[in-house]
Amino acid sequence: MAQILSPELLLAALMLASTYALVALGLNLIYGAMRLLNVAHGDLMVLGGYVAWSGFTLLGLSPLLGLFGAMLLAAGLGIACYTLFFKRLVRNTAIAARLEANSLLIFFGVSIILQNLMSLVFTADARSYSYMDTLVQWGSVSIALNRLVILGISAGATVAVLCFLRLSVFGIAIRALIQQRDAASLIGIDADRINIVVFCLGFALAGLAGALISMTESVTPFGGFPFTIAAFVVVILGGLGSLGGAVAGSLLLAFVEVYGVTLTSAAYRSILVYGLFILILFVRPQGLFGRKAN
Amino acid sequence: MMKLLKVFRMFATGFVLAMAAGSWAAEPVRIGMSMAKTGAFAAAGAGQLNAYQLWAEQVNAAGGLDVAGTRRPVELVVYDDQSDPAKAAAIYEKLITSDKVDLLMSPWGSPAHFAVVGVLERYKFPMVGSSAASLQIRSLKAKNIWFPTSAIPDALGAELAKLMQAQGVKAVAINTVQLPFPQEIKRYLVPAVQAAGMKVVYNEEYAPGIKDMTASMVAIKRASPDAVISLSYPEDSMLYMKQAREQDLRAPFQFVAVGPSIAFFSKMFGANLDNIVTLGHWSPDQKAWPKAKPFFDAYQAKYGEAPDYLDVALAWVSAEVLQQAVAKAGLDKDKLRAAIASGTFDTIDGPVAFEGVQNRLTPAMFLQFQQGKGQIVYPPSQQTAPFVAKSGWQK
Repeated sequence: MAQILSPELLLAALMLASTYALVALGLNLIYGAMRLLNVAHGDLMVLGGYVAWSGFTLLGLSPLLGLFGAMLLAAGLGIACYTLFFKRLVRNTAIAARLEANSLLIFFGVSIILQNLMSLVFTADARSYSYMDTLVQWGSVSIALNRLVILGISAGATVAVLCFLRLSVFGIAIRALIQQRDAASLIGIDADRINIVVFCLGFALAGLAGALISMTESVTPFGGFPFTIAAFVVVILGGLGSLGGAVAGSLLLAFVEVYGVTLTSAAYRSILVYGLFILILFVRPQGLFGRKAN
Repeated sequence: MMKLLKVFRMFATGFVLAMAAGSWAAEPVRIGMSMAKTGAFAAAGAGQLNAYQLWAEQVNAAGGLDVAGTRRPVELVVYDDQSDPAKAAAIYEKLITSDKVDLLMSPWGSPAHFAVVGVLERYKFPMVGSSAASLQIRSLKAKNIWFPTSAIPDALGAELAKLMQAQGVKAVAINTVQLPFPQEIKRYLVPAVQAAGMKVVYNEEYAPGIKDMTASMVAIKRASPDAVISLSYPEDSMLYMKQAREQDLRAPFQFVAVGPSIAFFSKMFGANLDNIVTLGHWSPDQKAWPKAKPFFDAYQAKYGEAPDYLDVALAWVSAEVLQQAVAKAGLDKDKLRAAIASGTFDTIDGPVAFEGVQNRLTPAMFLQFQQGKGQIVYPPSQQTAPFVAKSGWQK
């Protein structure tokens, strides 16, 4: 029982929570704000991972610089994806009701294309590198530096996105669009421009997450799906579009995973995590911090 | 203009003649296979396909495949099974009935191997297997498939216990992922450990897809074992390496089942991989196998990384067995089946011969990484380097 109070477990839970939060951040914007089911989210992360990996292995570039490249490339893809596939779809009120289902199909296609392109360019071989993996000692606890960096950047990115949504004109316009799409257009908000910004940001955050996680995990072209699932679980748990909710959801999931396993057995990990997910949806279908649908 | 036309006509005639000459040369031997080029096993399948392609390249460069005395070029016919064993079975059926390939090579992994056995039996088409290892292969009464692996769970469990005992291990911690192959090894390892008088101080399983192992590592550390056996697959093998290091697990004997022999592992863990014991029954440093090092070098030169000591080596062995059987028996299926079943083959992994579907010559072995190289540390008869205790992790 004394083990429960050990700082190792607390830190492990925080680390895991920061990874979950980071993975979910970009999806939260696109699914939470626009209700577009971006099932290519994990593949965008893998792309970010490849950018960081190539920068490091081919050019000797630090992944902490490479992540800007990953974000730029992903943001560019976001613009392309929106203008090519979604612009007309979003505008067309006749098919607006089916937008969520249609977006699933489109993003599924994007996911397959991305996977196969990455497999062609980088081959299906697993890629990895070692960067900032020295151990940092904190009293009795020691932890790899790259995991601390992920914790820091994940927290920073969440706060930055939160500030952007709360304080900037763009952010306020995004929130207006989420609440009342038609009314927002009436008062002169350019929905098209806002949508592009959301796509850019959502994709760039996926690229960022992938680039960071490539420091601690291997990258393969078909390895994105588990990330997509994790992101959806966190976003739905926290409540669609609620960044605070996603942070709370990440913390809850990570603590249940780490402490639940300690108290029971690691064999029950999946049962614990998905059991919690189903339980919360049962009690609060709108998620922890989600607004109730009218 | 007329001149130009004339020149063109000359070239055209030359081209047609060259084509005709080409068709007079031997018809290529077409070798079919399905491979996990996309999907969950794509990363694992990539190395195996690399091996087959390198093999085809070398065979063609040497003048072609010796088909009972005549040299013919080889041509690989590869389809993507999308990591789906059911698709693999359908592809092998298509390769046999519609593409009418001359020979078959194996897909990646145990599930795909088992899925195609029925097809091979129905069409009586012999195929040498590669990257499949499971107790299940014993129950196969198949006549058209053979498994060159020696990493069979019951032998692994018993031999691993012997290796630990030889290193003076007293207390063993076992952490197993809930997947068939690791669980099969555990089923034979635990009784073998106890029978040898060692104590199992920790024995837990964990769900695949686990993201954090801190709790298990803390518990294992508290049990202070002198051997930690991580029966894991690549994803969780990485997790073990990271978190065992963070928790500073000091056991001098540390075994990580699947992962360490693949190139990306050493790129991620560098010197921390040193003195980790893993599955594997091949090493380029085995002087008794003169073909081993040239294969390693050729693979490294072509693909820029070391081959997986386990699956890629097995794929190469399967190609060597096929090549030598075809040299003796030609392409006739019945003769080929007899040649594979009865022959002894000289491979990068030493001599290979089959009894039923199983390789009867290669014993169970274990590798240990030492200064970045996979060395065979067990059994003593095959040893390329003595076992070295793991002396902690790099800070």
